[in-house]
Amino acid sequence: MDKNDTTTYSVQLYIYDLSRGMARNLSPIMLGKQLDGIWHSAIVVYGEEFYFGGVGISSCSPGGTMLGSPDTVVELGNTEVTEEIFMDYLSSLGENTYRGDKYRLFEHNCNTFTNELAQFLTGRKIPSYITDLPSEVLSTPFGQILRPILDSIHIAPPGGNIINGRHS
Amino acid sequence: MEDNGGEDPVNNNNNTTVSSEGSIIKVTVKTPKDKEEIAISEDASVTQFKEEISRRFKAKQDQLVLIFAGKILKDGDSLNQHGIKDGLTVHLVIKTAHKAGDGASSSTSCTSQVGSSSGSSSGPSSAAHSSSVGSTGGPVSAPPQTPNILTGFGDLSSLSSMGMGSANFMELQQQMQSQLMSNPEMLSQIMENPLVQNMMSNPDLMRQMIVANPQMQQLMERNPEISHMLNNPELMRQTMELARNPAMMQEMMRNQDRALSNLESIPGGYNALRRMYTDIQEPMFSAARDQFGNNPFSALGGNSDGGVQPSRTENREPLPNPWGPPSSTDPSEGGGGTGTTGSSTAGSTNPSVSNPLAVNSASLGNGMFSSPGMQSLMQQISENPQLMQNMLSAPYMRSMMQSLAQNPDMASQNPASSPSTGTNPAQQLMMQQMLQMFAGGNASSQTPEVQFQQQLEQLGAMGFINREANLQALIATGGDVNAAIERLLGSQPS
Repeated sequence: MDKNDTTTYSVQLYIYDLSRGMARNLSPIMLGKQLDGIWHSAIVVYGEEFYFGGVGISSCSPGGTMLGSPDTVVELGNTEVTEEIFMDYLSSLGENTYRGDKYRLFEHNCNTFTNELAQFLTGRKIPSYITDLPSEVLSTPFGQILRPILDSIHIAPPGGNIINGRHS
Repeated sequence: MEDNGGEDPVNNNNNTTVSSEGSIIKVTVKTPKDKEEIAISEDASVTQFKEEISRRFKAKQDQLVLIFAGKILKDGDSLNQHGIKDGLTVHLVIKTAHKAGDGASSSTSCTSQVGSSSGSSSGPSSAAHSSSVGSTGGPVSAPPQTPNILTGFGDLSSLSSMGMGSANFMELQQQMQSQLMSNPEMLSQIMENPLVQNMMSNPDLMRQMIVANPQMQQLMERNPEISHMLNNPELMRQTMELARNPAMMQEMMRNQDRALSNLESIPGGYNALRRMYTDIQEPMFSAARDQFGNNPFSALGGNSDGGVQPSRTENREPLPNPWGPPSSTDPSEGGGGTGTTGSSTAGSTNPSVSNPLAVNSASLGNGMFSSPGMQSLMQQISENPQLMQNMLSAPYMRSMMQSLAQNPDMASQNPASSPSTGTNPAQQLMMQQMLQMFAGGNASSQTPEVQFQQQLEQLGAMGFINREANLQALIATGGDVNAAIERLLGSQPS
């Protein structure tokens, strides 16, 4: 290729199981289907971890939230996008689409954010088992019952600082 | 890989997007704010593409940064080169005038805060990290702050000896946290540190730190007693002494147990208390006791390999105290009588004296079913569905989920989870009640009495006249009349 002189940055996806194994054990009983975990994900690039939660877009050092180390790390590839451009991009996202109050556990959650970031940075999406989780849960009767409650949950792992902290 | 050269006379670098030679493709251009579909020739160059985009998005061409498949599209390239075809999405970032150095700016504002001790929430980033600091628990958030203060005193050497070489405060704090999580003794060492103790004896500072936590503020709005408690320096001082001294803490807990027993003498208060206890607290309390024993520090050893505990340092606080302030205020909220309110306030002050950190546990949802926040949650759910919605958007819901995760973890780690330990059945009871309340919370959001009205009548018709026992049995079995009957028969003296 004729772009050998641009630096690339590696992009990784950190996947955490919020249920700490509980989902794997209890999901067949509670939901009637096997869910291996309640997935929370974050993008790690430029040596920082970025994720979306109830407080908006946050960042921290990789593995630095209260969740600790990730269960799985997926290499998404490399990106040419520089940190500066990326932070511009994040700021714009944080003003609108990914403000804290836009967080929705089922439709617009951390994994939605990670998916969008992954596509922006590398053109690839995150593994589908993560993004399919909400619909998997909602397709069970238990999920339907719990839906009103779950809708109001905001997952926001503490330990990061908020980017573009414009609290609405 | 030359793009459209001069071979095609029609397809020169005009401002036309239509060229008769190359076919038109529709490319979606996506910005963080919106997206547009742009029709462009498939042989077009990036420059041409940018021209079109700058018109559509009303931005200058040199402000545009186009990204596709992780690559930045440079002006000299062609769309073909990057494989941009019909229907694909290209990302666009419109550079704004100011440099977005979010990382840099937050670190500078962090370091500028080093001089003044924490607590002032000036600016979002400081609020963010003081809230993350606050989330580790009231006075016990002192330890993550310690590097902050030490840095202020220029004592960097001790920092690096603690294994922290980074200058960025946020990283320091996170390293601190991860170290704390991996090394429980460190916290007790830190507590021994006279500097920390000094800081903790400063009630204003502690108060500021606690109040700076937005979750705390939310809780304060809901329970005014807490803000009164915080405003009372005597109380704070006492509290912090307690936090430093676990033995004293247990003493205070005993005191407040005695105080709570005074509540029995209030008309109606006893019943409310008893119902609360037997329905909710007893299983949770036994679960708590089994998990943590009477030694708050025993939590650390058990959970350190189970991954990270949320709000880990709070577990050092009097966990085995289910009689935290919210549960005492519940009779006042649920009962509504002024008499009850008066003495419940008095009653809730006492637990507060010994244990405002239990309040922190409440607001931040400790890693335990027995957290007072959990109890107040349960109580309020059964009484008011709207409140349930509000409550659930509170921070401790999230921590409750996390604690839900942890407890079954512990249970699965305990192969001998016999009924004598009480952990599993207790938790199952909890789960059941929760499920009930969640499911029933939408349909019939009343107390179990009303909810099980029908079943109660059935039981009454069958000859079980002890309504109280009936109700308890029904709650325990989730409304199953037959199972309730068995329970009643098993427990009734014949």
